[in-house]
Amino acid sequence: MSRFLSLAFVAAAGLTPSRPAEAQLRVVTSTTDLYDIARQVGGARIKAVHISEGYQDPHFVEAKPSFILQLQRADVFAFVGLDLEIGWMPLLIDGARNPKIRMGGSGYVDVSKAIPVIDVPSGNVDRSQGDVHPLGNPHYWLDPDNAKRIARLFEDKFSQLDPAGESTYEAGRKAFESKLDANERQWKTYVAKIKGKPVVAWHTSWRYFAEYTGMNIVGFMEPKPGVPPSPSHLAGLILTMQRTHAKVIVMEPFYDKKTADFVAKKTGATVLVLPPSVGGKKGIDDYFALMQYDISQLAAALQ
Amino acid sequence: MRTLLVAVTVGLFSAAATAAQTPDSVRARARADSLARARADSIRLVRELEAMGRQDTTRSVLPGQVRPTGSTNPRLLPDFSAVGDLIGDFSPKGSTQEDGGRFSVREVELAVQAAVDPFFRGDVFLGISDVEKISIEQAFLTATALPWRLEARLGRFLMPVGKQNTTHRHDLHTVEHAYVVQRFLGEEGLKGTGVYLARVFAPFGFYQEVILTAVDRFGEAPEDLVAEESPNKKLSGLGYSARLRNYWDFSQSTNLELSASAMTGRREQPLTVSLGEVNAALARQSVVGLDLTYRWRPLQQGLYRSFLLQGELMKQFNHGKVLLPQGVDPADYAGPARDFTGAYLFARYQVTQRGFLGGRFDWVQDPEADGARLLAGTILHEFFPSEFSKLVVAFERRSLQGAGGTTRLLLQASFAVGPHKPHPF
Repeated sequence: MSRFLSLAFVAAAGLTPSRPAEAQLRVVTSTTDLYDIARQVGGARIKAVHISEGYQDPHFVEAKPSFILQLQRADVFAFVGLDLEIGWMPLLIDGARNPKIRMGGSGYVDVSKAIPVIDVPSGNVDRSQGDVHPLGNPHYWLDPDNAKRIARLFEDKFSQLDPAGESTYEAGRKAFESKLDANERQWKTYVAKIKGKPVVAWHTSWRYFAEYTGMNIVGFMEPKPGVPPSPSHLAGLILTMQRTHAKVIVMEPFYDKKTADFVAKKTGATVLVLPPSVGGKKGIDDYFALMQYDISQLAAALQ
Repeated sequence: MRTLLVAVTVGLFSAAATAAQTPDSVRARARADSLARARADSIRLVRELEAMGRQDTTRSVLPGQVRPTGSTNPRLLPDFSAVGDLIGDFSPKGSTQEDGGRFSVREVELAVQAAVDPFFRGDVFLGISDVEKISIEQAFLTATALPWRLEARLGRFLMPVGKQNTTHRHDLHTVEHAYVVQRFLGEEGLKGTGVYLARVFAPFGFYQEVILTAVDRFGEAPEDLVAEESPNKKLSGLGYSARLRNYWDFSQSTNLELSASAMTGRREQPLTVSLGEVNAALARQSVVGLDLTYRWRPLQQGLYRSFLLQGELMKQFNHGKVLLPQGVDPADYAGPARDFTGAYLFARYQVTQRGFLGGRFDWVQDPEADGARLLAGTILHEFFPSEFSKLVVAFERRSLQGAGGTTRLLLQASFAVGPHKPHPF
């Protein structure tokens, strides 16, 4: 048996291919939004992949071994942070055995460090408050100001790891910001139609979007973050919607629309399924398309 | 100038003298005024802090500014967590639990986990139960900075033999381990104390991992058996295991893991005679197994729908030379003299966001009954109020060849408090 074990180990070690020489930075991101911004900043100098999909709840991603293979040779692992990926990221980082992407490694990029975080709970926090994020709300990419911060962070990190590409990264970041500025000028008319209008959201993931557009979230489908709607909560929510004249329920594609339809039927509201991330709907292939779609659809629904 | 100095000196002295001559009532009023001012300042400070706290929950940083972020764990405390595992046994012919209880706290697991330094992380799991009191379930140091993508552990860990054995009992999809795991590896699974070495590789384009271990012994030392010498006296008597994991993504929603494991070591086996304290011989025992896990979870509907199919096939070999104590006749050896085989198949389907229906079929040549056939069928419903609590109701019908059948009705409630690291995929 011991001979068998020795042979098995030698065979395993010998089968491992040697690393090919590549100039590109290998970047893995936890979400499609970070992936898209990294791609726009890094251009051809990086090879980027993402773990979760845009139509998937990023809180609940399976830590599949195939992701470990992606992370094993990553130079950068950029993630949203604020405990969004706490349920699956530690398994992947441990499994990858890549010191670069461990905490303290050169490629460990907690993007939230560059973000002015909102909804940071004050006072004592415990799980009776639901799936609360003690470090603040992690859904920050739905505010274009934060997208610019992410782009600047990526420019700095990529330049640090690949100084030869500094000018490329700077140009990529500037191009991203210019395009975003141009888009924001167009979105102003939509934002004007949204500002101050009462809406109901399923989860707290639309808080940054509300900060940007001025939409007034008067209630959530979830009684507490991560807790499915209960009948008593929905009864109260219906009263709130009637009182505030909220006519739109905003939700992500991965939640059960039947419950939202029920509330909409009782209140005469419209259920608006909006992708929260790049790739959350067919044709939403980059950050600009994502924001354009969400803002324009919401403005139309609120008309 | 001299006049000015004299005037100032006289002024200071006279002020001091005046203060010294101030009546008590005046001093008391001044003190009260001072306290009132201090209290007002204090209240104002508290209100300012409260206002800052309120701002935290809205937008506390102006656009373009970045909140200065400090450490979230300035005292470098490890993650502390506890898991409670509660059992209710309503089997019609009496409790089938080890302690005979209808309601019992089967185990409380305390976990302490943290990075030790830039090179190691430490994980300690203590198990507390009425039966075993307190025990070290796992305690291992993991080297996180080894070359060649190696992972090494030193300490006590769940043995990587089969699929179910790598999961803590309270975190299984069923109330208990499958019977083949209970009979071949141990009621609570198999742990070992020693060295663990693993490497992930992908020479054929899919995930593979080899895990090798060398541990102090195969299984726990039996309390009632004493051999002439310890099983680990010779290095060949230690416990050794190897596991090869293979994983494929068929699509974004479906994947398959097909793995093989082997474990060998010397164990104490009973004799029909005793020589003083010695009542056991040493015999080599090996277990080999195959396990398969198929998962389906559509990414968009993954909160509400999923399916899992898992099966394991194991064979226990009882072969090789038996090390009998001097003067003992081979006919007095009462340990297993044949090989045993067992398997289970488990399926689980998610019916709602928080509800799962599952079933398991067990078939084992039971080593505890000289290879008599043990068959069991279980259906269960799991309900997760949240990620951190679980309620299970299970109905089981079990039959042992020649000994009739048993019906079991079990309830399980488990909960986790504190930051508990996710369990392996």
